[in-house]
Amino acid sequence: MRLGEPAKIQAAINITPLVDVVLVLLIIFMVMAPQMRKGPDVNLPNTTKPSDQGDERGRILVSIDDAGRLWINDQQVEAEHFGDALRAAVGTETEPKVVIRGDARLNFREVRQAMLAIEQAGFRGVGLVAKPAGAKGE
Amino acid sequence: MGFNTGASGSSLQSEINITPLVDVVLVLLIIFMVVVPLLMKGYDVDMPQTSAEPARTEEAQLILSIGPTTCPILKPPAGEGVPADCRVSLDDQTIPAAELPTRVAQILGRQPTEKRVLFLAADDSLNYEGVLRIIDLAKSGVEDLKIEFVSTH
Repeated sequence: MRLGEPAKIQAAINITPLVDVVLVLLIIFMVMAPQMRKGPDVNLPNTTKPSDQGDERGRILVSIDDAGRLWINDQQVEAEHFGDALRAAVGTETEPKVVIRGDARLNFREVRQAMLAIEQAGFRGVGLVAKPAGAKGE
Repeated sequence: MGFNTGASGSSLQSEINITPLVDVVLVLLIIFMVVVPLLMKGYDVDMPQTSAEPARTEEAQLILSIGPTTCPILKPPAGEGVPADCRVSLDDQTIPAAELPTRVAQILGRQPTEKRVLFLAADDSLNYEGVLRIIDLAKSGVEDLKIEFVSTH
């Protein structure tokens, strides 16, 4: 009966490969998300209600690990070169925002000294990163 | 042909309709891509410029000072919140840290947002996490509270 009819054209796009790709992307993002943080491992302080720290663009991460060493993004920096390194890290960024990831075990002294150094390098205001109580990860 | 139209019209569609699934997954993907860079949370603080702005002293400044004798947080505090034995000095009055939100709200609540500034003097020997938790407490009293660190030295 059907011999004479033209072969049926399949009008729907085959989206199975698309789904595969998207699912894999999703899984990659879910796995990578906690590891995408820059800088050393820092045991962030726990607080009740920290607020958002804005966009990633223009953000400069200053980390202070539990030994009091300073890091700018991924690199450890000696205290005497800190100001220059910070200005270099800013580059052409027009609205830089310095964010301090300080270890919870630090004394306030180390953080205050870092804040002073950041201010002397010409930045006004910093963000102090914390994690909401009960949050896992970092 | 007459037979055929009936048969092909009601032919069973054996494939699962995955379009809604794709929609959901795509939206999830986009949510993840957008949220990942925003995940960082914390507190915005200011250091007062050391040389400039001595003129501001004429206005009433609300100063919160935390010392190691009245608020002995020298190690990361256990659990949540600020330890009960912590007393801080707000506006020259020593109060338990737990009263901080209400006191700050009383003093700064009626001020316009740009005047809601809390000057914070924390001792160097205090634990950083403890200081952040006290900031957290103070900020929970009023919205848009600006924190400025005061050099104690």
